[in-house]
Amino acid sequence: MLRLTGQPTERAFLHKVMEMSGQDLLDCLQCGKCSGSCPIASETVAGPRRLIARILAGMKDEALEDATWWYCVACGTCAGRCPVEINMYEVATALCEIAEAEGVKPSEPDIHLFEELFLKSVQKTGRVRELQAVMQYNLRTFHPFKDMVPGMKLIFKGAISPKEMLPGGGSDPKVARIFSRLAEKE
Amino acid sequence: MKASYYPGCSLEGTAKPYDHSSRAVCEALGIGLEDIPDWSCCGSSPALKMNKDLSTALAAHNLALSETQSVEDVVIPCPFCFRRLLSAQAELAADPDLKARIEGAVEAEIQGTTGIHSLLGFLAERVGADGVRKKVQRPLKGLRVAPYYGCYLVKPHDVTGFDDPENPTSMDDLLTALGAETVDWDFKTECCGAGLAVSKTETVRDLCRRIVAEAVHQKADAVVVACQLCQANLDMRQDGGAMPVLYFTQLMGLAFGMSAKDLGLKHHLASPMKMLKAKGIVS
Repeated sequence: MLRLTGQPTERAFLHKVMEMSGQDLLDCLQCGKCSGSCPIASETVAGPRRLIARILAGMKDEALEDATWWYCVACGTCAGRCPVEINMYEVATALCEIAEAEGVKPSEPDIHLFEELFLKSVQKTGRVRELQAVMQYNLRTFHPFKDMVPGMKLIFKGAISPKEMLPGGGSDPKVARIFSRLAEKE
Repeated sequence: MKASYYPGCSLEGTAKPYDHSSRAVCEALGIGLEDIPDWSCCGSSPALKMNKDLSTALAAHNLALSETQSVEDVVIPCPFCFRRLLSAQAELAADPDLKARIEGAVEAEIQGTTGIHSLLGFLAERVGADGVRKKVQRPLKGLRVAPYYGCYLVKPHDVTGFDDPENPTSMDDLLTALGAETVDWDFKTECCGAGLAVSKTETVRDLCRRIVAEAVHQKADAVVVACQLCQANLDMRQDGGAMPVLYFTQLMGLAFGMSAKDLGLKHHLASPMKMLKAKGIVS
C-alpha cells in the first residue's frame, strides 16, 4: 500500500504536471464524472479520475505508465462536465512530454507508433498522407491486410485511390523547419 | 461574402466528398472561398498529445498564412483543425512568452485577429436556416435523419464556444430548413473514438456500434455528420451495416438540386442511394 511521507519530492511530480498542463489538479474532488463520461475508460483503461488520483498521490511511475492518457482522444467531454473545470487532454500532453523526456517506454506501443508515423508524414510532406500512414502502421504491426475488404470497396467506389497508399508526395520545407527548430530548443 | 478556406489533410485524402460538397454548397450560397496558400497539417491529435509546442506552432503557421489573405474569416470543415486553430490563437494571445517562442519557430508574426469558424458554425450564423431555405429546390421530404455532431465542434465549450456541448441544435435547424425531419436523440455528441481507429480498432468499433444501433432504434434513414473522422469511423466500423453516414453539406447540395454523383454520395460504404431513390430524392 502507498503511504505518503510528506516529503517535498512527492509533490514535485504533481506540481510539474500542474504547471505544464495549466490544470489545477489539487481542486479535483474525485467525483468520477470524468471517468463516467469518458469514452475510452474501461476495465483495462483506468480513466481520468484514477489517473488524477495517481498523480495526486505522487505515484509517478504508475501515472506515466497509465494507459488512459495514451488512449485519450481529446474529446473534451470530461472537461465540460468536470465541476472544477479540469481539462484532461492538457494533462495527457504533459504526461506524454514528461514520459518522453524521461525515457519511459510507451505503455501503449500501438497508439504511440501510429502517432509517430502520423507526425513523420507531416514532417516530410507538410500534410499527412493518411492512407500512407495507415499502410505503414499495418506493415509495421504485421497486419498488412487489415481493413483490406472495406479498403477495396472504397477503391472500387472511387472514394480513394490505391496510389495514395504508396510512398512519395511533395515536401514543405517551411514545415520541416518548424520541426527542426523546435527540436533544437529541447 | 468572402472567406479563407482551410480544408485540412483528410479533405484532400479520404474525405473528398466533404471537400467537394462544402465548396459546392458555399458557391451556391454566394460565399467565395479562397484556400489558405500552402496550408499545412495542424498536427491533429498526435501533435496535441506528443508535443504541445509543435501542435501550437503548426496551427500558428496556418494562422500566419491565412493572415496574408485579404479576408477576415477562415472557414474550416474539419472540427479538429477548427478547434486546434481556435485554441492556438487563444493560447498565443494569453501568453506573450509562448507567442514569441512560436513566432520564432514559424518565422512569422501572428496578429491573432482572424475570425475562426467551423463550416457548420459559419453557415448556421452567417446564412442561417432562412437563407438556406431560400436555396432549396428539392426539399428532402420524408427523410428522417439523426444529426451527429461528435466532439471537437462543441467540446469543451470554453474552447470552441459553439452551440451546446450536450444538446447542440445548429445542424438540426439547417437540416429542417432543407425539408428533412430530425431525430431528437441522446447520442449527438457521443464520441466515435476518433483517431484510435487505426491503433485501437476494437475500441472504435464498440463506440460506433452503439451510436449506429441507437440511430437504427430511432428509425433514422441516415446519420448526418460535420466531421470526416466521425464519417469514416461510423461508416467503416458498423461492420457492414446499412446505416448511411452522410455529410450535412451533401444533404444541402442535394436539396439545392446538385447531383448525387458530384456530391460524392456514391463513395460511402453504407450506400444511401437505394434509400434516397425510394424516397424520390434522387432519380
